[in-house]
Amino acid sequence: MNRFGPSLGQGLVGIGVFVVGAVMAAGAFMIPSEAGYAGVGPNFLPWLVSVMLMICGAWVLWEARTGGYRNIEQPSGSERGYWHGFAWVSAGLLANAALITTIGFILSCALCFVLAVRGLRSADAQGGQATSTGTVGQIVKDLCIGFAIAAPVYWMFTKLLAINLPGLTSSGWI
Amino acid sequence: MDLWNQLMLGFATAATPVNLLWCLVGCAVGTAVGVLPGIGPATAVAMLLPITTQVDATASMIFFAGIYYGAMYGGSTTSILLNTPGETGSMVTAMEGNKMAKSGRAGAALATAAIGSFVAGTIATVLVTLFAPLLAKYAVRLGPPEYFCLMLLAFTTVSAVLGRSTLRGMVALFTGLAIGLIGMDQISGQARYTGGVPELLDGIEIVLVAVGLFAVSEALYAVLFEGGTTETQNKLSSVHMSRSDWRRSWPAWLRGTFIGFPFGTIPAGGSEIPTFLSYATEKKLAKDKSEFGTKGAIEGVAGPEAANNAAITATLIPLLTLGIPTSNTAAILLGAFQNYGIQPGPQLFQTSAALVWALIASLYIGNVMLLILNLPMVGLWVKLLKIPKPHLYAGILIFATVGVYGMRQSAFDLVLLYVIGLMGVVMRRYDFPTAPVVVGMILGPLAEAQMRNALSIGEGKWTVFLERPMSVTLLIIIVAVLVVPRLLKRRSTG
Repeated sequence: MNRFGPSLGQGLVGIGVFVVGAVMAAGAFMIPSEAGYAGVGPNFLPWLVSVMLMICGAWVLWEARTGGYRNIEQPSGSERGYWHGFAWVSAGLLANAALITTIGFILSCALCFVLAVRGLRSADAQGGQATSTGTVGQIVKDLCIGFAIAAPVYWMFTKLLAINLPGLTSSGWI
Repeated sequence: MDLWNQLMLGFATAATPVNLLWCLVGCAVGTAVGVLPGIGPATAVAMLLPITTQVDATASMIFFAGIYYGAMYGGSTTSILLNTPGETGSMVTAMEGNKMAKSGRAGAALATAAIGSFVAGTIATVLVTLFAPLLAKYAVRLGPPEYFCLMLLAFTTVSAVLGRSTLRGMVALFTGLAIGLIGMDQISGQARYTGGVPELLDGIEIVLVAVGLFAVSEALYAVLFEGGTTETQNKLSSVHMSRSDWRRSWPAWLRGTFIGFPFGTIPAGGSEIPTFLSYATEKKLAKDKSEFGTKGAIEGVAGPEAANNAAITATLIPLLTLGIPTSNTAAILLGAFQNYGIQPGPQLFQTSAALVWALIASLYIGNVMLLILNLPMVGLWVKLLKIPKPHLYAGILIFATVGVYGMRQSAFDLVLLYVIGLMGVVMRRYDFPTAPVVVGMILGPLAEAQMRNALSIGEGKWTVFLERPMSVTLLIIIVAVLVVPRLLKRRSTG
């Protein structure tokens, strides 16, 4: 394990945990401490959690700086991340969050499906599996599959279970 | 006999056509998510939590329980045929069952796994029927100090004892506790860490965290690091056990059941330990050890599969009688109860007797359904393994959206879902356990309330935890689980 390789990421995780703890500690100042009969008020657990997170974060950082995490199991998969595919899947998820209320559940999910499949498929192609990505036919096919999954799910939840999901129209079918 | 009457009433409720249908659908969904890699029972139950707003409590608990133990049946199919465990409890099956499948005995491995699961599941259900009401009767006497200590024990085992690193377990646990802090304080009604966002006043939904951590992170991890990994699928042979297979399986099933059951009842988190223990036992007792790890020994599948199912069924005891979840899925089931305003605990057997007994009765029925679903129909489920990975993961994202959006109708939650998915990727990459996050998040607010109530009883003095015999005993157990394994390790290494 080289000095700046995996342990850099490990150290960053430690810093991240510490920062979360610190932010929570700052938040804990704003929580009143009136305790009543209990002796501890609503700010007790926030303080405990934030202090423990800061301690753990510092400890994680220390482990990272002194030879890396102890007893770690090597993560599965390749050593380097495939960020290109990751961007596609992320785009799918975030587009879904942005569009679901305007274009409705079915279309938004179908779009998310197309983008995610595209990312995952290009990851496979990059990993050595011969698959074509991004041809128009492929995209149309994926869109149909996404629609074929999302639509029945939508109908089942809205019609059968009366759970509110947003539609493009108010007909309840799309 | 009172117990018998209650159980019969339970059967009467569980056997109505509607509830039978829920049970069947639950078992089928469970088998499917067990078979499919990348989605487990915890995720599936979490995604379906929105139904709690519409379906009545008994039906949905029967449904969720069906998913929970159905996944254990399905998980073994994937382990045997693909060598990637469908879920963690079937890791051992993946080792030995896959060896059997490679030497052309996939059918026998599948059969012993399914029948073993049935035997263990049924025996464990009988034990639940007998012991849960007894424990509930006893647990009524427990007060807040004892409950707090029990929860502390659950936190300790799930974070510090299981897993490879106490430190990383603690980071995960406190992250879960931190998420649980967001929202309104149960006792004083004080808003905490909401940052003025009204959506956060109700806290963060369990669905969101579980689905983000298990499903979205799985998809993100797959695209980032696992592109192009191909799996070879073993050939399915006829699902049938020979006379000698039966002779070798029986004792292993029974041993596995009795190893697995106690582990489910204690807060030791899941079924990895009992399955490994059962495997080690079978290996030790086997006359011919040469088959283990080479051709695959049927005992090595039969025992762990039984242990796994017995442990899973047994987790219902602490869940129903104490309100303490000992696995990820149990934690989410607790969340489901909470959605109905039901707090599982010793009173549950009085206040919601009909529900509890219908649930227990449905376990008997579900096990029979699963045996049929998994033996004659196994070929059907195997087809699910043909779904290409990109479509599988992208499809899971659609279901994730339903679960999260359906719960609160908030697009904001979908962004949070992505963020938690990212957190899950980091946790998986750096070997942080996820179970403590879920348990900490769900049990944290309950533990806090119990602690403050306990301190009220003790008029603000912390010694209240030392003055009551039961809570002192629990504290000693907590210290023991922390210290003893370390001492043993030190002694064995030097």
